[in-house]
Amino acid sequence: MNTFAERFSVSGSAAEIRRAKEVIGEDDDFTGVMWGSAGGFGNLSKGVPTFSVPSVPDPTDFLRLHTDDHADPSCKIKIKHGTTTLAFRFQGGVIVAVDSRATAGSYVASGTVKKVIEINPYLLGTMAGGAADCQYWETYLGIECRLHELRNRERISVAAASKYLSNLVYSYKGMGLSMGTMICGWDKTGPAIFYVDSDGTRLKGDLFSVGSGSTFAYGVLDQGYRWDLTDEEAQELGRRSIYAAGHRDAFSGNTINLYHVKQDGWKFIGNYDVSEMHYNGPGGTGGYGYGVRVEGRTSANPAS
Amino acid sequence: MPDGSYAHPQQRQFNPYTENGGTILAIAGADFTVIAGDTRQSEGYSIQTRYAPKVFRLTDRAVLAVNGFAADGNMFVKTVKQRLEWYRHAHAKDMPLRAIARLIQTMLYARRFFPYYVYNILGGIEEDGSGAVYSFDPVGSYEREACRAAGAAQSLVQPFLDNQIYFRNQTPAPGTSHPTHLPLPDVLAIVIDSFTSATERHIEVGDGLEMYVVLAKGRSTQELASIRGAQELTPKEGGDRIFVIRRELKKD
Amino acid sequence: MDISFALTGKGYVLIAADTTAARSIVKMKSDEDKIKVLSPHLLMAFSGEPGDTVQFAEYVERNMRLYHIRHNHELRPPAAASWIRRSLADSIRSRKPYAVNLLLGGYEPRERTPHLYWIDYLGTLATVPFGAHGYGAYFALSLLDRYHDPEATLEEGLATLRRCIDEVSKRLVVSPGKYKVKIVDADGVREVEL
Repeated sequence: MNTFAERFSVSGSAAEIRRAKEVIGEDDDFTGVMWGSAGGFGNLSKGVPTFSVPSVPDPTDFLRLHTDDHADPSCKIKIKHGTTTLAFRFQGGVIVAVDSRATAGSYVASGTVKKVIEINPYLLGTMAGGAADCQYWETYLGIECRLHELRNRERISVAAASKYLSNLVYSYKGMGLSMGTMICGWDKTGPAIFYVDSDGTRLKGDLFSVGSGSTFAYGVLDQGYRWDLTDEEAQELGRRSIYAAGHRDAFSGNTINLYHVKQDGWKFIGNYDVSEMHYNGPGGTGGYGYGVRVEGRTSANPAS
Repeated sequence: MPDGSYAHPQQRQFNPYTENGGTILAIAGADFTVIAGDTRQSEGYSIQTRYAPKVFRLTDRAVLAVNGFAADGNMFVKTVKQRLEWYRHAHAKDMPLRAIARLIQTMLYARRFFPYYVYNILGGIEEDGSGAVYSFDPVGSYEREACRAAGAAQSLVQPFLDNQIYFRNQTPAPGTSHPTHLPLPDVLAIVIDSFTSATERHIEVGDGLEMYVVLAKGRSTQELASIRGAQELTPKEGGDRIFVIRRELKKD
Repeated sequence: MDISFALTGKGYVLIAADTTAARSIVKMKSDEDKIKVLSPHLLMAFSGEPGDTVQFAEYVERNMRLYHIRHNHELRPPAAASWIRRSLADSIRSRKPYAVNLLLGGYEPRERTPHLYWIDYLGTLATVPFGAHGYGAYFALSLLDRYHDPEATLEEGLATLRRCIDEVSKRLVVSPGKYKVKIVDADGVREVEL
C-alpha cells in the first residue's frame, strides 16, 4: 500500500523523482506510458502514465494559451465542450442519462458521442468537460478496478473507485485537466453515485446533473423525482430531463443515451433522438415538446 | 542605454504550432473503407507545396489520415508506424484496427500537456471483416463512426456526408428504406464530389486528391476495375487489400 | 441578481418577482415591490441595473397615465408592449441606455384574452405563454416547458409558479427569500398569496 500512496503523492522523494523523470524524459512517447505491450514484449507499465511537457517556464500557461477557446476563440487546438449529463439513485437502482452532442465553438463537431463510459459491467462513468480526459482516465480507472479485483478477490466499491479517480485527477490539479463526471454503480452498499471533478471535488449523493445544460435538466428532474419511482417512471424522468436540456441549451442535444444500473450490473436501455422525443415521444407515446403537449389549448376566452 | 536600442524588456512567446490547411475524409462501407485527403499544404495565404500526402498506409488493413499542423502530423505518423513495426516483430502479425485506434489514443494523450496539433482519422477493416472509421481529437478522445470529415473544409463536407451517407433529413419514398451501407462506386463518387466542391469554396483545399480504398479479405475487386488508375499497394494475395486512386483537383 | 417569472393561465396572467434589493454583498431591503401596476389591466415586472429599473418603470407608468388622460381609454396590452419596446430600443441607441428587463402581463376585457410579453433591455420583444428573467430562467424554463398549461385554473397556475420558486430556492446558490406575486384577469389587478 505504500507504493499506492507514493504513486499519487504530490510531495516526497518518489514524487520528485517522478517529476524529474517527466522533465528530462528524452523520448516522451514511451516512458512507461503505454498500457499494452511496450516494445511488443507484453510488459505492463509501472505506476501512472507520464506525460511530456513543453520546456517553458510555465507549462500550464502554455497549454492554456493554445487550447483555451473561451479566452481566445481563434486559438488552434479546440477542446470540445458543452454537455448535459445526469444520474440519480432511486428504489430500483441508478438511472444514468446523457446527451450526445460535442461542440467546438458554435460548430456541432459530433452528434453521436458516447458520453457514458462503460468502466466495467458494474460501473459507469459520465463524460462532461474534456472528452479525452474523461475517456482516458475512466478507461485507466477500469484497468485499476480490474487489478483491484485480481488482488482482493472482490469487486471494488463505487466509493473506492471514485476516490481512486478523484485522487488521480487531484494530483494533476492546476495542469489543465477538465472533467466533471459521475461514477455510478452497484456494490455491497447498494446503488451509489459519486460526483468527481478535476478540481478534486468528490461528492456522494442521490441526484446530480453536470454540464452546460444541467440547470435545465435539474428543473425537470427535481420536480419529478421521488425515491419510490418505478423503473419505467425513472427511465422516463431521466429521458425527459435530458430532452429538456437538449431543447433549452444550444450546446446539448442530438440524441439521448439511457442506462439503468441494477444489482446485476448496468443495462443499456436505449438511444433516443431529441427531435423524435419532441414530436412523438419514445415509441410514439406522445411528444415531450411544449407546443405538441399544449396543442389546441388556449388561455383566451374563459368560460365565465 | 543611451541609444535606446535595448531599453525595453522583451517578452517572447513559445509558439510551436501552425495550421497547414487541407481536408481529410473517411467513409466506411459494409466490407470496405475509403480514406481520402487533398494534397495541398499551405500556411496563411501561401501554398507551400501542391503535393504533401496526408493519408498514409499503416498496415494491410489500416490507413491513417492526418490533418492540422503538418510537422506534428508527419512526426506522429512516423511514431505510429514505428510502434506498429515493433508490434509486428514481437507478435508476427499486424496489429488489429481497434487496437491501433487505442494505441493512437494513448499516444495522443501522452502529449496531453503539449499536444500534437493534429486531427486523425483512422480507416480500415476490423477483424470481423467490416469497414470501420475511427476519428480522434488532438488529445486522443475517439469514436467509431461510419463517416467523418476533418480539417479546413470540415464544416463544408460533413453536412454533405450526413445527408448522403446517413440520409439525414431525407425521407425514403413510400414502401422503401435507405440502405445502411452504400456500394463502393457510390462512395467514391461522393468522395470525389466532396473534394471538388470543397476546392471550389475553400481556399486551402485543392491541387490533388488521394483516395485509399481498403477491401476486406476475399472481397471482389470487380468495382475497382472500372475506376481509372486504381493502383494496388498490397503485394500478397489472400488478405485485405489496399488500393490508391489519385485525381487532380483545381490548382487556383 | 433579480429573478422574475410570469405565466398565463385560463383568463389570467401571473407575475412573480423576488423582493430583495441588494447592493454589493448587502441585502438593503427584503420587501421591495418590483411589479408595477401600469393600468387596471396591465402589470410589469422589472429587473436589471439598480436605479435604471425604477426610473424606467415610473417613466412607463407616467406615460401610460398620460395616454389615459389624453385619450380617455387605456392602451391595450399589445399597444403598450409596442410602446415600451420602442422606448427601450430608443434608449439602447442613446448616450445613456436603461439596462432594464421586463415581463409585461395584461388582460384585454373586451376579447377576454390574457397577454404576456418578454422584453429585454436591448428592445427584444417576444410574445410568450410563460417567461422568466435572471438566473431563475435557467431552471424555470425547462420546468415550464414540462408543466405549463395554457388552460390552467388559478390554483393550478399558482402551483406551477410555486414549483418554479421552489426549484430556484433548491438549486440557486444565492436564491432570494421572498417573492411578490400579482395577477391580472377580468377583475383587474391584485396581489395574491402563494
